[in-house]
Amino acid sequence: MLTAIIFLPIAAAIVLALCARNDKQVKWIALAASLAVLILSLIVWAALDLSNPAPQFVERHSWIPAFSVEYYLGVDGLNAPMLALTGLLGVAAVLISWHQQVRVKEFFFALLALQTGILGVFASLDMMLFFLFWEVELIPMYLLITVWGSGRKEYSAIKFLVYTAASSGLMLAGILVLYFSVGTFDMIALRDTPFTTAVVTSQGVFFLLIAAFAVKLPVWPFHTWLPDAHTDAPTAASVMLAGVMLKMGGYGILRLCVSLFPGVAHDYAWLIATLAVINILFGAVLVFRQKDIKRLIAYSSVSHMGFVLLGVASLNEVGLTGAALQMFTHGTITGLLFMLAGMVYEKAHTRHIPDLGGLAGKMPVLAVAFVIAGLASLGLPAMSGFVAELLVFLGAFGVYREATILAIFGVLLSAGYILWTIQRVFYGPEKPRFAHIGDATKSEILPVAGMIAVIFIVGIYPALVTDTFKAGLAPIVHLLGGGS
Amino acid sequence: MHQFGFIAIFMVLAVLVPVSMLLIPYALTLAGIKPHRPDKVKNDTYECGVRTVGGSWVRFNFRYYYFALSFLIFDVEAVFLFPWAVHARQLHWFGFGAVLVFVAIITVGLAYEWRKKALEWK
Amino acid sequence: MPIRDYYLLSPEISLASIAMAVILLDTVVKRKGLLAIFTLAALALPLAFTISLWGEEGRAFGGLLIVDQFSIFFKFLFLGVTAAVVIASQDSVTNFKRFQGEFYALLLLATSGLMLMSSTGELITIFLALELSTLSAIALVTFFKTDQAVEAGIKYLVLSGISSAMMLYGMALVFGVSGSTRLEEIAQAVGTTRLLDNPALLMGMLLMVAGFGFKISSVPFQMWVPDVYQGAPTSVAAYLSVASKAGGFAVILRVFYVAFAGVSMEWSMLFAVLAVVSMTFGNLIAMFQSNIKRLLAYSTIAHAGYMMVGLAAVAARNPIGEGLGTQGLLFYLTGYAFTNLGAFFVVIAVAQKLKGESIDDFAGLAKRSPLLAGLLALCLISLTGLPPTVGFWAKLYLFSGAVQADLVWLAVAGVLNSAISAYYYLRVVKAMYMSPAASDERLTPSPAISLALLVTTGGVLFFGFAPSYLLDFAVRAARGFPG
Repeated sequence: MLTAIIFLPIAAAIVLALCARNDKQVKWIALAASLAVLILSLIVWAALDLSNPAPQFVERHSWIPAFSVEYYLGVDGLNAPMLALTGLLGVAAVLISWHQQVRVKEFFFALLALQTGILGVFASLDMMLFFLFWEVELIPMYLLITVWGSGRKEYSAIKFLVYTAASSGLMLAGILVLYFSVGTFDMIALRDTPFTTAVVTSQGVFFLLIAAFAVKLPVWPFHTWLPDAHTDAPTAASVMLAGVMLKMGGYGILRLCVSLFPGVAHDYAWLIATLAVINILFGAVLVFRQKDIKRLIAYSSVSHMGFVLLGVASLNEVGLTGAALQMFTHGTITGLLFMLAGMVYEKAHTRHIPDLGGLAGKMPVLAVAFVIAGLASLGLPAMSGFVAELLVFLGAFGVYREATILAIFGVLLSAGYILWTIQRVFYGPEKPRFAHIGDATKSEILPVAGMIAVIFIVGIYPALVTDTFKAGLAPIVHLLGGGS
Repeated sequence: MHQFGFIAIFMVLAVLVPVSMLLIPYALTLAGIKPHRPDKVKNDTYECGVRTVGGSWVRFNFRYYYFALSFLIFDVEAVFLFPWAVHARQLHWFGFGAVLVFVAIITVGLAYEWRKKALEWK
Repeated sequence: MPIRDYYLLSPEISLASIAMAVILLDTVVKRKGLLAIFTLAALALPLAFTISLWGEEGRAFGGLLIVDQFSIFFKFLFLGVTAAVVIASQDSVTNFKRFQGEFYALLLLATSGLMLMSSTGELITIFLALELSTLSAIALVTFFKTDQAVEAGIKYLVLSGISSAMMLYGMALVFGVSGSTRLEEIAQAVGTTRLLDNPALLMGMLLMVAGFGFKISSVPFQMWVPDVYQGAPTSVAAYLSVASKAGGFAVILRVFYVAFAGVSMEWSMLFAVLAVVSMTFGNLIAMFQSNIKRLLAYSTIAHAGYMMVGLAAVAARNPIGEGLGTQGLLFYLTGYAFTNLGAFFVVIAVAQKLKGESIDDFAGLAKRSPLLAGLLALCLISLTGLPPTVGFWAKLYLFSGAVQADLVWLAVAGVLNSAISAYYYLRVVKAMYMSPAASDERLTPSPAISLALLVTTGGVLFFGFAPSYLLDFAVRAARGFPG
C-alpha cells in the first residue's frame, strides 16, 4: 500500500515520459496519478488504528544485508496526515500548472518525481531510506526552479541545492554515528534503545541531525535560501516547497531529534525556544519590507515555522500536537497563498506590490480566496491556523512564558502584514493597466476551493487531525516523561 | 658511526682536489711564474689541431634511431642468451622453454618491424 | 608446482599474448575494423582464466604473485573497463591513418600491467608492473600527435619518471630498514614500531606514497592530470581516470595493509589529510573550467580525495579489511568506473559530431539528443553522489567507513565537498537543458558508442537500485587479505 503511494507518481512520470503523445495527455496522467495518491493516502489515514502506537501498513524487506539497510515503510499518527497533505498539495500543484506551456512533459516528470521523494521521506522508518529519499527530492526541485523559474532562478536553485546538500551531510554523519553505536537504522528500534558512544556525545548527534532539519525548516540564521528559492520557483514548485518540503524539517525534528534524544531535547529546549522567537519576530518584521508578493509569503513562512519550533520546545503533548498541526495547516494555508500569488502573477504579469492595486474589482473570486487564506494565516478562529497556534501557545506558555508572550506579538505582526498586503494588492483605486485582466478560471477555482474547504474543516473540527497526531506523538510524549 | 667518517673524508677530498687544480694555475699566474699569452688556437674548444667544420647542431637521419633501437634490443637479447647458454644443461627443458618464449616475443617485434617497413632504408 | 604458478598468472599471460597477437594481426589484415572485434573477442580468454581462478587462493613464484579475492576483484574491474574502452574507442581508432593495432595492443599491455599490480606481494614486481602500465599509457596519450597531445605525453613521461624515481628511492629505504622486498617480511620487520623513532622508514613510506599518489592523481601529485586528459584521446583519458587510478589504489591497499599494517594509525592520518586537500582542491578548481575534459580531470582529482577517505578509515578497532572503509573503497572504485566511463563516453559521442569539447558545445544537447543528455545527466548526478545512482551508495559507504573509524570530521568534510561539487556538475546539466542549442541538427551516437554507453549507464542505474550485489563482492574482496 505505502509502496504504491510512494512509487505511483514516479511510475506515472515514466509512463507520461514514454507514452504520452501530447501535452493534454501528460496533464491528465499527472492529475490521475496525484489524485490516486491523495485517495490512497486518505484511505491509509482513515484505516489507521489510533489506539495502536506501533507503525502500521508496515512493509519491511531486507535491502542491503551487508549494511543492514532495510526497505522499511510504515505509518503512524505522526506521518499519516503528512502523507495526505502531500497528496493534497500534489493534486493542487498539478491543477495549478494546467496552463504550463514550456517543456510540459519534463515539468510534470519533475513534479511527480519530487512528489515521490517527499512521500518517501514521510513514509520511511529506516533512517537510510529516509536519507535516500531526502536526497532524491533535491534534483527535481533543482530542475523545477532552474528551468521553469523566474528572476535569478539559477542562483536560487544552486543556493537551495548547496544549502540542503551540505546540511544533509551533517545529518548523514549523525545517522552513521547512530548506526555504528546501536547497529540499526530502524527508527522505531532506535527510539527504544538508549544511545551510548564514546566518540560523539548524544548532544553531538542531536545537533548533527537537527542541523539538516533546521536548514530545511528553516530556522534563523539558515533561512536565507528560502526566500530566494520560493520567489524564483514556478508556482507549483513554490506550493510544494512551502507546503510540504519545509515540513520535512519539522517532521524530522519530531521523528528523529526529539524522539531519539528526549534528554538532550530537554537540555536544549531553551535554545530551540529562543530560535523560535527569533524566527517568528525576525520573519514577521522582514515581511513588512518585502515588495515582491511571493517573497512576502516566503518570509511569512519563516515566521510561521517559528511556531512549529516553539511547539517543539515546549516538549509536552499539547505543544507538540500544536507543532504538528501547525505544520499541517501551514501546508494548506501557505500552499493556497502561493497558488493565489501565482495566479495573480499570471494575470497581472507582476509580483511587485506597489505596481498592483485595486484588483478586487477585476478578480473578485481570487480576492475573496486571498482574504480567506490571509485570515487563516493570521489565525482567525474557525480556521485551522487558529487552532494550531492556540495549541502551541497553550503548550508553551507554562514552560516558556516570556517566549510565548513574545511569540504572540508575532501573531499581531502577522495580522498587520496580511491585512496591509491584502489592502495594497486588492483594494485601493483600480489601475488602468489592469483593465483587461480576468478572474480565476474554473480549473483554478477547483483546487482553491478544495484548500479552503480543508482549512475550514480543520478549523471547525480540529480533532479530525489532532487525534491522529496525538496518537502518533504518544510514544514520544511518553519518552519525554509527560505521559498522557 | 665511523664508517661514515671515511665518506666524510672522501667528500672533503672530492671538493678540495678539483678546487685546488683550478686555483694552482691562477696562483702561479699571479705570482708571475706562469706566462699568460692566450691566442686563437689555445682558446679553441678542442685543442687538437683540426678546425671544426660547420655547426654542431646538425640533423641526423631519423632512420638511425630505428636501427639503433633495433640493434639495442638484439644486443640485450644476446646478453640474456649468453648466461643461459653457459648453463643450458643445468637449466633443463624449463630453461629452454623460458628462453624460447623470450625469443618468441622478440621475434614478434622483428616481424612487426619488418611488416611495418621499419627495416627498409628509403 | 611451476605449472600451477603459471596457471595463477594465466590472466596476465594471456592478456599480454593477445596484445602481441593484435600486433601481428595488424600487419596482415587489411580491414582494420576487425582488430577491435578480435580484441574484444580475445578478451574473453583472460576473463575465462580470471573466472576459473575465482575462489582460488594462492601464491606463485615464491610469493612474488598473490592471487586472492582482492586481486580477482580488480582483475574483473580492469578487464571490464578495458572492454568498455575498446568498444568506445572503436570509432575514433578507425579514423586513424596508421597505428590502429598498436592502440589496442598498448591498451592491453597497460591492462596486463595493472592486473599484475593488483596481485603482487613484492616491491620490485610492483615497480615493474607499474612501469609497464605507465609506459603503455604514455604512448597512448600521445596518439594523436598534435602539439597538445605531445605536450601531454611529455608531461606525463617526465612527471611519471620523477614519481617513479621517488617511489624507487622509498622502496630502497624500506628495503634498507626491513631487509626484504616482500611485503609480509617487511611487515614482520616493521612490526609496530613508532614511525617517528624510525625516520628512514617514515621517509621511505612517504616517498612511496608520492609514487602511488601520482598514479591515483591525488594532490600534490596531480599537476599532470588536466593537461594529459585534454591532450589524450578521450577514451584514453577515460581509461586513465578509471583503470589507472584503480590500479594505484590496489597497490596502495596491498602495500599499506600488508606491509605497514602495524603502523596504520600513522598513515591513516596522512591519508585523511591528503583526502581533504585533494577533494577540496579538485572541486574548487573544477568550478572554473570551461572545457569538459578539464572539468572531468579536476573532478577526478576530487574523487581521488573521496577514495582516500576509504584508506584513512582503517579503524583501529576493526581488523584490517573488515572495516567499511576498505569495502567502501572497492565499491567506490567500481561505481566510479561505471559512472566516469559513462560521462567520458558521452563526451566522445558529442565530440565526434561537434568537434568541440567545451561546455558551451553541450548547450541545448537535450534538444539535439535527449538520450545523450539524459545519460550524461545521470552520470553527473552519480558523480555528485545523489540517489538513485551508484554514486550515492559509493559515497555513503565510504563516509560511513570514516564514521566507523571515528573520523566524523572527515565524513563531514567529504559531504560538504560533495555539495560544492554539485555546483559544477549541475552547471553542465543546466547547459544541456537550459541553454539554446547552436543548431537544431539531431545528434545520433554511433552504434559502438551507444553499446558502451548502455553498459556503463546501465550499471550506474542497476547498482543504484540494487547495490547489494556489488557490495557483497567488495566485502568478499576486502576480506580476502591474507594476514
